[in-house]
Amino acid sequence: MSPLVSVLTSGRQIAADVGELLSDLLVREDIPLNLYCGRRGVCGKCFVEVLSGDVPPTDERERTLAKARNLDAGRFRLACRISIRGDLTIRVPDAALIPKTRILAQGTGKEVLLDPTVKKISVRPRRPDLHSPHALLEGLKAGLGLPGLRLSPEALYSAAAALSGSPDEEPTVTAVLGSGDELRGVERGDTSSRLFGLALDLGTTTLAADLVDLGTGAVIETAVGLNGQASFGADVVSRISSAFKDPVQAAALRNAVLESINALLSELQTAAGIRPDEIYETVVAGNTAMSHFFLGLPVDGLAVAPFAGVFCIAPPLPADRSGLRVNPLGRVYLAPNLQSFVGGDITAGVTATDLPSRPGTVLFLDLGTNGELVLKTNRGMTSTSTAAGPAFEGMSISCGLPAQTGAIDKAVLEKNGEIVVRTIGGGPARGVCGTGLVDLIAAFLRRGDLSPDGRVLRPDKRLPVAPGVVLTPQDVREIQLAAAAVKTGMRMLLAAARLEVGDLDEILVAGAFGASLNVENAEAIGLLPRLPGRIEFVGNSSLEGARALLLSGRERLRAEGLARIILHLPLARDAAFERIFVDSLSFREWPEDPALTETPKEDQ
Amino acid sequence: MNADLFAAMAQAVVDGDATAAADLARSALDSRIPPAEALDKGFVPGIRTVGELWESGDYFLPELIASAEAMKAAATVLRPALEADGASSSSAGTVVIGTVDGDIHDIGKNLVSAMLTANGFKVIDLGADVKLPAFLEAAERAGADLICLSALLTTTMLGQKRLIELLVERGLRGRFKVLVGGAPTSRRWAEEIGADGYGESAPAAVRAALGLMGKVTS
Repeated sequence: MSPLVSVLTSGRQIAADVGELLSDLLVREDIPLNLYCGRRGVCGKCFVEVLSGDVPPTDERERTLAKARNLDAGRFRLACRISIRGDLTIRVPDAALIPKTRILAQGTGKEVLLDPTVKKISVRPRRPDLHSPHALLEGLKAGLGLPGLRLSPEALYSAAAALSGSPDEEPTVTAVLGSGDELRGVERGDTSSRLFGLALDLGTTTLAADLVDLGTGAVIETAVGLNGQASFGADVVSRISSAFKDPVQAAALRNAVLESINALLSELQTAAGIRPDEIYETVVAGNTAMSHFFLGLPVDGLAVAPFAGVFCIAPPLPADRSGLRVNPLGRVYLAPNLQSFVGGDITAGVTATDLPSRPGTVLFLDLGTNGELVLKTNRGMTSTSTAAGPAFEGMSISCGLPAQTGAIDKAVLEKNGEIVVRTIGGGPARGVCGTGLVDLIAAFLRRGDLSPDGRVLRPDKRLPVAPGVVLTPQDVREIQLAAAAVKTGMRMLLAAARLEVGDLDEILVAGAFGASLNVENAEAIGLLPRLPGRIEFVGNSSLEGARALLLSGRERLRAEGLARIILHLPLARDAAFERIFVDSLSFREWPEDPALTETPKEDQ
Repeated sequence: MNADLFAAMAQAVVDGDATAAADLARSALDSRIPPAEALDKGFVPGIRTVGELWESGDYFLPELIASAEAMKAAATVLRPALEADGASSSSAGTVVIGTVDGDIHDIGKNLVSAMLTANGFKVIDLGADVKLPAFLEAAERAGADLICLSALLTTTMLGQKRLIELLVERGLRGRFKVLVGGAPTSRRWAEEIGADGYGESAPAAVRAALGLMGKVTS
């Protein structure tokens, strides 16, 4: 008769095989036991409480690990050290489970199990003596239970420094392990609670970064900043042009973005009280051009049709070659690009929103400088990118500003016909940012100052907003072009999938606008289709996705698979593009037939 | 009498009403108005107004396209009569047009192409992403007067410069006039690379093309 393992709290009784590891049994039963060190009995994370049953005796190492955690070594045992002999009753404390992190502050994202590609394990290396005069590294391998440990050349020097110290002063060292049992470095003492990672959204205009505790998955600090490449041009194309066939200028662009990121890193490190060498892993999610600039790769291929980048999936870069102020023995991972104009930021967004697993027909829309879209149906996923231009980021608009102090981010048409504006920071208006532009166009349309085809109807051809802030007919045209580009992308993706806009169960909106976009107004000017209750803002999904890729090696594998399964629809080559684009230029609500959207799937 | 008809023709183009434009062209022929006069005094002033409306910001791409369509509809009706009147007046000139190598944008180019056709040019549209030698081959084959080059990227506008260099290399610079346009280009750029003309917008490009052909345009 097979032994029975009773798991308290869950009340489950599981039949086991004699000789089976308790850890394997629990994992087989879908209990997310934290096997951080890969069942080698050295990390001390899978301690379970044994309430009754016959178990093998403990060893010295297990007792030390229990003591370090203030656990009773008699009752608490490492699940990966227990070979099952007979019936057992155990309790699995929460501390023995893999921590989970919810990705996506806004909207419904996914839960990621903590499974980082870098780990820290503190051990006491076996000390050489006259009877066993083994090399220091062999002692470390024995201590880790990893005879197959691989070393990078840099790790050799790091290990030498840490292992050569006097073991009487400090008998413990901490091994930093990468995936595939690769030793990245060795630190003196027990530093296993100090392992951090950086998730970075590398935007054309702005940067956003999370400093993450890789032991718990928690975000410790978040910071935002501007991309210093702005002085080379506001949009991606002008920066690519500036670096085109000019290695000196290309290097200057790389330095500019590295300086911006390093400034952000200093800010995060100071705020969190963390040293640069405690950051061993970095994930960067950016569009294809930004990731090429960051890696110092030529962007010449991105400058002209057919717009071919150097890579979709890049190998993790040794941190000392990245130019980032982090531990030089760490790694820098780039969120994979899907296509030349659908970059790692979109892959990260698809990851964060768990798009492949969402039920029904879902459109993911990132409203940045390029409007990128991914349509998920029951038959698969298709992406496209539209040249929306930087209008919604406030560029190319005479009074445009990024979303910063002094920018009008909201405007309301009062009953008396007056337009009341709100500025970021509350001070006097200096200009208008993207969300403000959407509100203002909607207000001018309602007030009759603007015709739906975009003509300014006021005799002086000016649309005054606030003292010193005026929209010109040219500004209106720029907004029309940007909105039409996005709308064309949506319409053509849907048409290619033989779907109507009303078939969409959800539209997930990521990017520049954030939750401050007024959906009613975005619908009124035709930027978004009128689908009440089906439009959801997901915030900076690029940053959130970068964090998922930082926390979980499994998510990286899935993200790398996306490049193979997401089809790409090139818009400009389609014969219908021009007709649909021109038709999309007007500020009209769509779909025109409201019957298409009358049945929202949930009451909201 | 004719003045009213000419005004209606101009209005049909301004309104982008292709049906009205074709009808008016037919009634002009029925009333034995010389087709060249119908074009010059009726439809062309309309397209000129459209250009002004574009420049003042009142007209945008959809209106411009509709007007070009109306102009084209009128020209289609008038063409047989124009040709019967003699080849010299039948065509304003022959144009080879395209977006340069490495650039797939073609809305603006299509608009210029349509408006040149509407204004009586024989247009050979090579499409987008056109290799530079293809422009020369097409121009030589068609005995073109003009080569029109569109570029929408700062990286591809260099193709306009290279085409002119290629013309010089092959000793063909004197044979064809070159007109350039596209968002990143400017009059200064056109002068710098030695182009013969620059079109800031589709109506401006048509004016420039007519000017290069020695037609009065103001």
